[in-house]
Amino acid sequence: MSFQKFRKIGLALAFSPRMEAMMAEALRLVLAYESSLVLVHVGAKTSEAEDKVRKLLSNYQLDLNRVKVVWKQGEPAACILKACKEEQVDLLIAGALKKENIMQHYLGSVARKILRKSNCSVLMLTNPSASPHPFKNIVVNAEDSAYVEEALKTACAMAQADQSNWVHIVREVKLYGLSMASLDDCSEDEYNEVRNRLLKSEIENVEKMLQAIPHQGLKVNIKLLSGKSGFELSKFAERKQTDLLIVGASPRKLWFLDRVFTHDLEYIFQDLPCNLLIVNPSQRKEGANG
Amino acid sequence: MDKLSQMEVMKLLMQLAVMLMMGRLFAEIARKLKQPTVVGEIVAGIILGPTILGMLSPEWFEVIFPSGSSGIVLDGFVQVAVVMLLFIAGLEVDLHIVLQQGRQALFTSTLGLIVPFAIGFLFPYVFPEFFGFANGDHLAFALFMGTSMAITALPVIARILMDLGIFRTRMGMLVISSAMINDLIGWLIFSVVLSMIGKSHQNISLWQTIMLTVGFTALMLTVGRGLLNRILPWINKKLAWPGGLLSLSLAMCFLAASFTEYIGIHAIFGAFIFGVALGDSEHMSERAKEIIHQFINNIFAPLFFVAIGLKVNFVTNFDLPLTVAIILIAFAGKIIGSGVGTRLGGFNWKESLAAGFGMNARGAMEIILGLIALENGLINEKVFVSLVIMALVTSMTSGPLMKWSLSRNWIK
Repeated sequence: MSFQKFRKIGLALAFSPRMEAMMAEALRLVLAYESSLVLVHVGAKTSEAEDKVRKLLSNYQLDLNRVKVVWKQGEPAACILKACKEEQVDLLIAGALKKENIMQHYLGSVARKILRKSNCSVLMLTNPSASPHPFKNIVVNAEDSAYVEEALKTACAMAQADQSNWVHIVREVKLYGLSMASLDDCSEDEYNEVRNRLLKSEIENVEKMLQAIPHQGLKVNIKLLSGKSGFELSKFAERKQTDLLIVGASPRKLWFLDRVFTHDLEYIFQDLPCNLLIVNPSQRKEGANG
Repeated sequence: MDKLSQMEVMKLLMQLAVMLMMGRLFAEIARKLKQPTVVGEIVAGIILGPTILGMLSPEWFEVIFPSGSSGIVLDGFVQVAVVMLLFIAGLEVDLHIVLQQGRQALFTSTLGLIVPFAIGFLFPYVFPEFFGFANGDHLAFALFMGTSMAITALPVIARILMDLGIFRTRMGMLVISSAMINDLIGWLIFSVVLSMIGKSHQNISLWQTIMLTVGFTALMLTVGRGLLNRILPWINKKLAWPGGLLSLSLAMCFLAASFTEYIGIHAIFGAFIFGVALGDSEHMSERAKEIIHQFINNIFAPLFFVAIGLKVNFVTNFDLPLTVAIILIAFAGKIIGSGVGTRLGGFNWKESLAAGFGMNARGAMEIILGLIALENGLINEKVFVSLVIMALVTSMTSGPLMKWSLSRNWIK
């Protein structure tokens, strides 16, 4: 299947124990989506390093015309993002720790910096496997945000490609507004009526969005959550033992204050519940290479 | 420790019973008339207080509400009620929505704060006698009047937006988040104004007060919030629910309130900011918030609002020109400020006008603000009565005016 959205997939390659697993995960998607692959390595281009990459690639039967290796030197996150921009990468794959310590959280690790600042979509793998599996249980965030439709489209397309068992579409319902507005002035029946109306309208909103997105053959579960968005989404993904959580990117770049007053995506970055895909709208210019 | 006599205990309990019953009765009547319950509760207080009962039957008024120890204890209840009301006002502020709305909310709320504040400050500063200023700190008085025009009632707005079915629209969220920013900054300014008049506080300079207020806010919303995020999961898991959460969150609210009182900022500010920090924690569930809301809104809020009517004679202190002037300033400042702010935020004029009408609701917050100012000698009873009437008029007209302005082809 050719996946229009991810025609060029980038892999942030570090010579770590997880290198082969990361490569295997990336290749699964490259083959599934008939994409080309850009390997980005930050470090000196020594003959030893080149040998390592060559050896890694030789483990797989690959059309090397569709693989490009980019070498960069400097601050890792900035170099990786620069390479993605130059190469017009649609999806960047990188590895991340599930949870970071408090210093790393506030200062920002390479993985989190990529998540916060990337212009292309990013797939963060928390537990990559050398023999990767399709994503069978996907959770996607459908809360009103700039790229919610992009996220839904991507989730449905990926679920169809992977023949996933479930796609859970999660939308936040602002019950606090209901409580604030109704607690003093409503009888129990009135309160329940307003509450049900609110829940129904939120489900209808999701259904309306879904109408415009192909999702044939998928088992879709629409779930409404109340509480802090991002935090509740993360907890839900954990409860459902999801293997992929998909969210739309923030329309603005997240910075230090967003970590201090944690909200939305930052709750998820704080403690990744599973693999995470941040969907950015495509930056590709029509007719560009790849 | 001094004790109340048996008769005083009996009278105190009777007072509480009468206030709660009358408060509920008139709140239900207000509800039937589709008005905020606070309107009914204040009317109940006016009927029970010197305005009606005290005038028609002074003996009965003295029997039910005698001056003496039980009156002092009742006043203590009212003080605690104010702290708790500010605590739930803080709980209602959702920093996450404010951050989500970003620049647009900042436009609407900044102009919705600055314009009414400026107009509300200017007129009392230039015509102090007309606005009932006699003696004291002229600047603090004018600053208070400005603040009282700038404040917004979040629950009233939420209710209006829900009724109109536009709570979840872009505009609904903008109005809600702007009202939250307004409240946050409004109470911050009010705390500074209160400390300027320096009653019952240590002698600290204006700059020290500002630094302390801003410092306390920053500390509570960062370190305090972080600590709460660590304590709350433990409370939720290990202690009885919701008992543990309810008692400990109120205990921490009182601690924060007493701390701000100690460092020279009013107790209400500590309660408010603690409420913001607690409400913003991801471990504070909607259910827990509802329980705290129910507890305070149905027991302490009626006591407070009925007590308003007991404290002041609304007939002898009614000043028509002053009330009209305050209402006009309130309407003009908020509608122009918030309206222009919303327009600058990218909405059309019709929607901007609607946002201005929505933000115009002052509700219970105005009354709390007014009472504290009255008790601290910042305003006289005539200004207080005018402010209460303004709060009621703005709350009652906000919904219909917003509906009217949106009546033609509202597009989500």
